[in-house]
This record gives sequence, structure tokens and C-alpha cells, in this order.
Amino acid sequence: MDVILNLTINGLATGMLIFLLAVGLTLIFGLMDVLNFAHGGLFAWGAYSGIWLYSQTGSFMIGIAGAIITGIILGWLMERYIVQPVYGNHIQQILITLGVMLVLSEMLKVVWGPNQLSARPPGYLDGSWSMGGVILIKYRLFIIIIGVLVFIGLQYLLNRTRLGLIVRAGVMNKEMVQALGINIKKIFVLVFMLGSALAALGGVLLGPYSGVIYAEMGMEFAILAFIVVIIGGMGSITGSALAAILVGLSGAFMAYYVPDAALAVNMLLMAVVLIFKPSGLFDGQKA
Amino acid sequence: MRFLTKSNLFLIFVGVLLILFPFINDSRSLLILLTQVFIFAAFAMSYDLLLGYTGIVSFGHAMFFGIGAYSTGIMLKKMDNTIGFFLLSLVITILLTALLSYVVGILSLRLKSHFYAMLTLSFSGLFLVVAEKWRSLTMGNDGFTFSIPAVFKDRIVFYFISFFFMVMVLLFLRRFTESPLGRILQAIRENEQRTESLGYTVLHYKVIASIVSGVIAGLSGSMYAITLRFVNTAVFGIDVTLDALLMTIIGGVGTLFGAIIGAGLIDFAHHWLTGLAKVYWIFERWIIFFGILYILTVMFFPLGIVGTAKHWWKRRKIKGEIQMKKTA
Repeated sequence: MDVILNLTINGLATGMLIFLLAVGLTLIFGLMDVLNFAHGGLFAWGAYSGIWLYSQTGSFMIGIAGAIITGIILGWLMERYIVQPVYGNHIQQILITLGVMLVLSEMLKVVWGPNQLSARPPGYLDGSWSMGGVILIKYRLFIIIIGVLVFIGLQYLLNRTRLGLIVRAGVMNKEMVQALGINIKKIFVLVFMLGSALAALGGVLLGPYSGVIYAEMGMEFAILAFIVVIIGGMGSITGSALAAILVGLSGAFMAYYVPDAALAVNMLLMAVVLIFKPSGLFDGQKA
Repeated sequence: MRFLTKSNLFLIFVGVLLILFPFINDSRSLLILLTQVFIFAAFAMSYDLLLGYTGIVSFGHAMFFGIGAYSTGIMLKKMDNTIGFFLLSLVITILLTALLSYVVGILSLRLKSHFYAMLTLSFSGLFLVVAEKWRSLTMGNDGFTFSIPAVFKDRIVFYFISFFFMVMVLLFLRRFTESPLGRILQAIRENEQRTESLGYTVLHYKVIASIVSGVIAGLSGSMYAITLRFVNTAVFGIDVTLDALLMTIIGGVGTLFGAIIGAGLIDFAHHWLTGLAKVYWIFERWIIFFGILYILTVMFFPLGIVGTAKHWWKRRKIKGEIQMKKTA
């Protein structure tokens, strides 16, 4: 029983990290119809810049803030100079963002060297509580809480604010929103920056969780995020959240019981979803 | 005499030059480099069939390449290093890659292009993990060496074999793309809905394209393993796919010769930049230059070398005709 509970918490925490990454992908796709293959690169940049700041200043909060700022800046640059010229052309978008991914992950090695960096949780998040035999690792709970907060925040932003209204309308009909005198380009940049910031946040949170960060992790986690987005349905935030939790949990349990099949189970999940419900479990707002 | 057009004469000339090359030149490294160019040219052409002729973006082309490389490597190591087992490994490659591309194609090609790109990327990620974990068969990340059939050991013989391989792939794909089936693929690239409404089952044709492309990629992987006499998990890496992508795009999407020229350029640039890395440290990270070059190509040079040249020719021709009409 303890094992199951521990695995559940573990899986939830991983799921939340993947959610942070996947939700940006799905938002950007849902509104702008851009599939950002460089998303993993933003994730890795968030991790490196955040962990580096954290190790320099000793404050994890500064690290998190630094990662988010890195994500926002990179997101702005990418939207402005890379993605904007290729709006409306899917093949070019896919190709170009993959190129950006490549450059981003190699640049990491130039700036911070090819070796992996190690990271530990800060003192106040280190350690665990023990509750009747169940060990609650503080840092994992912290990640889960942040994931839940981000989810609630996004739901609030999309469903209760004027910006969210415009975004939702933009998803439905871009031209109409434009015709109403709203500068949809500005909204696009904002959404892109938000998605990038969330990816970077996921990256810095991953650091102390896995203990090490390395340049290839961007690609690894991007693949997980893609799987989540396919399972959940493109453009659906709730879908991404549930699919991320599903992937996190199945990963944690499989890693414990059948370690060799841990990655294959995600592929299997995705294949099954694609066969029976190609548009994902939750049809995106686009559908 | 349509066969003896200017461009065909030029091609025959280049072909003869390449055949004579080993007798003129005695640099071993150049010979090996050209052998690699031939193999990668075949690989890039198979990619171009997807990207250029059908309009499908695949990020998992490395998995077919890797399957070919591993099945040849494993057969030659575990069984015996004879021609027979090499041919058997080719058969295995063809079966495996055809099956895999069929499954992946059926799963995802009825969806939008993004899904195919993502799904292939994830599948090749899965193969990379399997190759790393299944140590008894693949020796994990370290890879393994194997000895090759005696005939292939002569670099010059193998040079001709890979040249022949490339030419065969070129002729086959040329025939394939110019056949009625190939025309349908190009119609799909141009306008999927219209092709569908003309009564063609688009999925059916897309799957055929992905199977042909996958099998050729697998065969190039087998050939590649023979040149290296060594296999490791790098053959499943994303860089392999990216190389094919870059070769296709730089050379010119939708032109088979573009893929060949792209392969030549990229392989030579590879070679040259790795050489430079010993002098300037920044070139150790040459992938950055490739990445930037690639982004710039997609943005500003979308037709590639051969595509741009063709475009330019056409415009010149039209201009010339107008001039003629004016003077007449």
C-alpha cells in the first residue's frame, strides 16, 4: 500500500512537470495553429538558466524567476523572428522550429559546457514528512502544488478574463477577432511567451527533482509532451492535464514493476488513442 | 532522341567521371567520403519522396536507417560474414521497415501532418531507447564492430557497389515519381482535399509512399553499416533524420537530384568542419552552424539549389520566348 501511494505521488509529480511543458504546446497550437518543435529547447534553457542562477545566488526562488524570464525572452524572440514569417505554412513551421530546437540545445553546451549539471532542492523543500508509514517527499508535493496552481490559473485566465475571452474567440475565428479591432498579433506573442515561460518553469522544477540536468533532456521531455498532447487532444488544456497525469502515473508504476517497458507504455497509450479516437480524449477547442 | 537531352548528357558525363574517379585519384579518405555521399544520397532521396513529393514531414526517418544498420550488423556478427547473410539481412530490413512504415502510416497518416511528425519522432525515440536497453543484442550505447563479407573489404569495389546502389535508387524513384501513382502523390502534396474529392483514397497512396521511402531508408542503413563496420545507437539519433532533412532542403525539395547534391554538400561540409574543430574550438559545436544554416534555408531559400536553378531556367526561357516574339 505504501509503495502504491509513493508511486502515485511520484507519478503525479512527473505528470505535473510534463503538464507544464505540454500545456504550452497545446495553447500555442490551439490558438496559433503552430506546432512548436522547439518547445523542448525552451524547457532545457529554463532548466539551465534557472539552476545556474540558483547555484550562484543560493535562492531557489530567484532561480525560478530567472527561468521564467529566460522563457519569456526566448519565446518573444522566437515568435518575432522565427515563427511570424511562417504563419500559415505548416510544413515550414515544423521544419523551422526543429532547426531552432537544434540550435537551442547546442547553444546550451556552448554556454554551460557539455557536462550535466547537478541540482538539489533548497533546504526548506529538502527532506520528507512521514505519515503513518507513507513518506511524503516535500519537493514532490511542491511540484504537484505548483502544477495544480498553474492549471487553476490558466483556467481562470481563459474562462474569466477579457484576455482569455479574446484568446478563446481567436481560436474559434481569427479573422473575426481581427475585424473587431483587436490586434491578434499581440495576443499571439503573449500566448507564445506564456507557453514558453511555462515550459521554462517546468525545466527549472525538473532540476532538483531528477538531480541532474543535461542538454538532451529537452528532446526527451518534448517527446513525452507530444505524446501527452496527442492523447489529450490538441488545444485542450484539461485534456493535457489529465493525459499528463496518466502518462506520469503509468510511467511511475511501470518503472517500478516492469522497468523495461516504461517508455513503451506511453507509446502504446498513444497508439491506442490514435486508433480509437484520433482527435484525442478531449477534442481540442478546434474540433 | 529525347534521351540525349542536354541535362541527360550532363548526367552521363558526371556519372562517367564518378566511375573513373577511383582510377584517377588515390586518396583513400576521399574515396570513403564519396562512398558515404552515395549512401546518404539514397537516404536523402527516400526522404524527399515523403517531404518533396507527397508533402509529409517525418521526423523518424532515422528509425528505418537504424533498423537497416542494426539488422545487417547483427546478422554479420551473430551468424557469419558472408554475402548470403548480408543479402538475408537486406531481406529482413525490407520486411521490418515495410511493416513498421505500414503500421506508423496507418496510425497517423489519416491525421494532419503534425501527428505524423510527432508520432514518427516518438517512435524513433522508442527505437533509440530499445537499442540502448537491449544490451544482449545491441551492446547498448557502445555498439559493436563486425567483419564484413570479403568482397566488400576492397574500398574500390564497395565504392562501385554504393554508386550502383545510388543509381538504382535514383532510377527507381524517378520511375516511381513519374508514374501515375507518383503523380497522385504530387497531387496530394498540392491539394489533399481536391485529390480526395477526385475519388482517390489519399491514405492509401500516402501509406504506399511511406513504405517505399521506409524500405529505401532501411537499405541505405544497411549499406552505411558496411562502410563503418560498426554500429551503435547513434544510427537512431535525431541527427540522422536531420541530416536527411537538411540534404533534401538545401538541395531542393521535390527534386531527386537536389537530394544527391545536398548529400554531397552536407557530407563534405561535415568532413571539413570536423577538421576545423581541431583548430577552433567553436567548430566542435558545428551543429549550431548547421542549425542556423538550416533555419535560414527554410526561411529564405525554400526551393533549394536545384529548385532555384530550375526556377531560374524556366524564367529565362520564358523571357527568351518573349524576346523572340518581340523581334519577330
